[in-house]
Amino acid sequence: MMEQIIEVNNLVKSFGDKPALKNVDFCVRKGETIGFLGPSGSGKTTTIKILTAQLAATAGDVRVFGEPAHLLKDPARMKKIGILTDNSGLYDRLTVQDNLALYADLYGVRKERIREVLAMVNLLGEERTPVKKLSKGMKQRVTLARAILHKPALLFLDEPTSALDPTTTKQIHEGLRELNREGTTIFLTTHDMDEAEALCDRVAFLHDGEIKLFDTPQNLRTMSGSPTISLLLKDKTTVTVEPDESGAAAIAGYMASGNLLTIHSNEPTLGDLFVQLTGRNL
Amino acid sequence: MTSFSIKRVNAIFVKDWKDLQRNSYVLFTLALPLFFAAWLGRIGEDSAEMIAFPIVFALVIAGAFVQAAMVAEEKEKNTLRGLLLSPASVTEVFVGKSLLSGIMTVAVVTGCIWLAEFKVPSLPLFALSIVIALVLFLAIGTLLGLLSRTVMETSIIGMPVMLIFGMSSMFKSMITNETILTVLDYLPNELLMKIWSGLESGSFVGESFLILTVWALVSVAATVVVYRKRRMD
Ligand SMILES: Nc1ncnc2c1ncn2[C@@H]1O[C@H](COP(=O)(O)OP(=O)(O)OP(=O)(O)O)[C@@H](O)[C@H]1O
Ligand SMILES: [Mg+2]
Repeated sequence: MMEQIIEVNNLVKSFGDKPALKNVDFCVRKGETIGFLGPSGSGKTTTIKILTAQLAATAGDVRVFGEPAHLLKDPARMKKIGILTDNSGLYDRLTVQDNLALYADLYGVRKERIREVLAMVNLLGEERTPVKKLSKGMKQRVTLARAILHKPALLFLDEPTSALDPTTTKQIHEGLRELNREGTTIFLTTHDMDEAEALCDRVAFLHDGEIKLFDTPQNLRTMSGSPTISLLLKDKTTVTVEPDESGAAAIAGYMASGNLLTIHSNEPTLGDLFVQLTGRNL
Repeated sequence: MTSFSIKRVNAIFVKDWKDLQRNSYVLFTLALPLFFAAWLGRIGEDSAEMIAFPIVFALVIAGAFVQAAMVAEEKEKNTLRGLLLSPASVTEVFVGKSLLSGIMTVAVVTGCIWLAEFKVPSLPLFALSIVIALVLFLAIGTLLGLLSRTVMETSIIGMPVMLIFGMSSMFKSMITNETILTVLDYLPNELLMKIWSGLESGSFVGESFLILTVWALVSVAATVVVYRKRRMD
């Protein structure tokens, strides 16, 4: 059996009498990248806060590295964890370098590592800039750099690329995959289907505090129905056919008559499945 | 909580020191008692009470106010949460911070003594009284910082504290009620003045030292209790 890094059984969290998480169960295995996908208010941040002992669960069993999450606060164990949340702030008046130097000292990491993480988040050259002069996306990248400074065994990312442009996002994804290859288990939340597909081994659909589905992106996609094929013809009309014998015959016919311009396969997306399942857009 | 690391305390201290140099609010607050002491020195004030006053003022302002602002800002900007998600413990964070506020306070107190031309009676005992007062006011500052959500709030909540602990001797002459006057005698600032004038005249100051120490211990205990209650905010 593979080593379980996170085990959650019957987790319930209520704020007053308002339920935020209802009976959540899941496991994360060593080396996996897991994504929690869900609309605003579905309980993603609440889940991360409970896993990192910032919030106490109302009921249920939550284990991280095999021990109850609320026992996490121990320097030796905190060194194995990295966290990026929207509520773990940076020091505005300090420079990027000084912000990271503080954490390098707290984690006992050598200072040269700062350059490595800044390269990964594409901020080399900004070492001397005070954080208050950075854009929102740049701050998010500094926070990410801080979270991975010590190459944690388990990394929590709460919407890591929500403020970033597509190019930077791609670069961050590459860095995260690299970190994962080096052995970091990643737990991330996102609104972004493409991000989940690009990074995650398994994806959970969270809606109204419940996990509706938890599977690999491929399995989830096949669950949402078979793909169709769109044909663009010379007269600019579009014909949609099924990927079966009749479809093949139709395509062969158009090709033989020289009428076919392009063929395009319509893969169902995780977004489509999410809407089917919950009646809600992400 | 089990391990305490000097390295991490030092990391917090260095960070707070770098931050302080760019924090105009804190720098201005630290300068206030110095201006006041310089002014007293200029006008050639020599009543013992008036000259001791900027030293008490420095302890309240530099010790309590600056510490409160630094603690509240960590909460306001969510940086404390980040620290507590690292290997740093609460104790390490507060010790690192108090170390810096403590050193700054001692610097400001020394500056005030020099500017107001205060004659220090019996240096070792005087220093001891400053150290006990420092523990007291740093604890009060930490407490104020924990009770406020923002830096702005610390100056509002801190105002009555400053009036009572810092300036009660100023309006003592306006009070005639015996009970209030007796209570005022047991306030830390009154105790400090009593200790300093006692040291100068050679009278017994043991009792005042004892009461001041009780003040310090009670405020440290209160701070710990409040922190424990507010941990899961
Ligand atoms: N401290 C709190 N007090 C009261 N209710 C809360 C608190 N934190 C979260 N909630 C509620 O719990 C539910 C889940 O919130 P959570 O922040 O986990 O959502 P999320 O999935 O992270 O949303 P988003 O995508 O907007 O970040 C929401 O209905 C929210 O109102
Ligand atoms: Mg959230």
